[in-house]
Amino acid sequence: MPISDETLTRIIAEYGGFEMSPEELELVKPELESYLNELEKLRGLDLSDVVSSRLLRAAEGTEADA
Amino acid sequence: MPDNELLKLTISEIAPMIQAREVSPVDLTEAALAEAERRQPTLNSFITIMREQAMAAAEQAEDELSRGEYRGPLHGIPIGIKDNIATGGIRTTVGTKVLRDHVPDEDAEVVRRCKEAGAIILGKENLEEFAAGATSNNPHYGAVHNPWGLDHIPGGSSGGGGANVAAGVTFASLGTDLGGSVRLPGAFCGVVGLKQTFGRVSQRGLMVTSFNGDHIGPMTRSVRDSALVLQAIAGYDPLDPSTVPVQVDEYALVMERGIQGLTMGIPSNHYFDLLDPEVETAVRRAIAALEELGVQSREVSLPSMEYVGALRFSAMADSVVTHEPYIASNWEDYGPDTLYRTLAGQFVLGRDYSKAMKVQRIIKEEHARVLQDVDFLITPTTPMPAPRIDSATIEVEGKEQKVRGPGSGHVSRNTSPMNATGFPAITVPCGFSELGLPIGLQIIGRPWEEGNIFRLAHAYEGVSPSQGAWPNLG
Repeated sequence: MPISDETLTRIIAEYGGFEMSPEELELVKPELESYLNELEKLRGLDLSDVVSSRLLRAAEGTEADA
Repeated sequence: MPDNELLKLTISEIAPMIQAREVSPVDLTEAALAEAERRQPTLNSFITIMREQAMAAAEQAEDELSRGEYRGPLHGIPIGIKDNIATGGIRTTVGTKVLRDHVPDEDAEVVRRCKEAGAIILGKENLEEFAAGATSNNPHYGAVHNPWGLDHIPGGSSGGGGANVAAGVTFASLGTDLGGSVRLPGAFCGVVGLKQTFGRVSQRGLMVTSFNGDHIGPMTRSVRDSALVLQAIAGYDPLDPSTVPVQVDEYALVMERGIQGLTMGIPSNHYFDLLDPEVETAVRRAIAALEELGVQSREVSLPSMEYVGALRFSAMADSVVTHEPYIASNWEDYGPDTLYRTLAGQFVLGRDYSKAMKVQRIIKEEHARVLQDVDFLITPTTPMPAPRIDSATIEVEGKEQKVRGPGSGHVSRNTSPMNATGFPAITVPCGFSELGLPIGLQIIGRPWEEGNIFRLAHAYEGVSPSQGAWPNLG
């Protein structure tokens, strides 16, 4: 996932309050993009049908009624 | 017995000699310090060697013995402490330049308990920067080297401890395990590494870490020694609300029970996927050996492991909060791996984090359910033997896998799930690769049943091909 210099600069400033030079940003960007690609892949995981057994019991009216 | 032979003994072998005053804590500590100093240029396993403090503690241990006071099996035993565990009056760097001059006011609870048990702390051991990684290739304090192959990583993040125990410098080392950081160096360095149940051991004084899933655990040269160290550090700490006031078993007694009739589950998915063939062979042989010892085996399925990658969301986001106090004023002192990961954590959304928590819960439930049908799960500890220090990637089943940085979760794919569940797991040496690098067998058990894990691990240790092997360091 590409990330703009502007976004990266803002994120870094908001978090750490420091500024990186354009040369430093160029070093950081590919690494961050690599992490963001991982994030994208993980976001693609569909967990909507995966349900915790605790929630199942609640749906059956046991713990939820307690 | 010459010093170099004494240093090769286990705690359970040398403790009776200390108690009987056949071995002096002062002489033993002097020998261990000399070995630490001799090996440091080769292994780089310490950040701080505590010669003065160690000798003072050894003299006190000896004085006590002369008065007939014996504290127990750790009395006079030289150990190491990972440098992210606070030691009062001794600098604790967490492997980072940011904290290079940090001197805590007080000891971590585990350090206090080790001292109370009579252990002698030789020094603070080298680690991955901020304990965040699997290599112990530290950008500020240098790479730790594996005693079994000096060009190879010892594993991380507690690499200094693994190297020291394997090389006969310390008798035990305390490491920390957030994704496998005790068990990975245990496996790569051919020693026993334990991550006990979450809540069994106080984390008070463990510095700059996630609020989710970290553990302080021992690395030792035998399963029996692992039990001795856990016995000393386990138990409720009223000042650490993550500890749980459950009974601590007498591990030495539980360990001696037989293993006939116990059942081990062999996962049919995830844990045996993407393995180096030499690791698979060694682990399958270990399973066969356990069967010969009378343990029944059964294949088990853990389908929710398909989602295990989601756990990285929480680790990345945690990193943002963990480093908040340091990064603003010290970002230029950060090594690139920690800095990039921490910055990337800014992009994790609330729903991503919640997804990770859901996966954590589901994986925990599934392992708990499977462990109702079997007593243990058996897996390889790592998918491969120790990679080379200069390797950015390794090839497994024709696929490139990163060793550090983004996408490097492969090394810890079999250990990190138990940080999510909090269940206890131990690594025991189970043989060597063709290059002579150690391979580890992981035994996972039910919560609070460390005694049973020791029982199985101890029985296996007696027939392991690694038994009695030592690295050739000259």
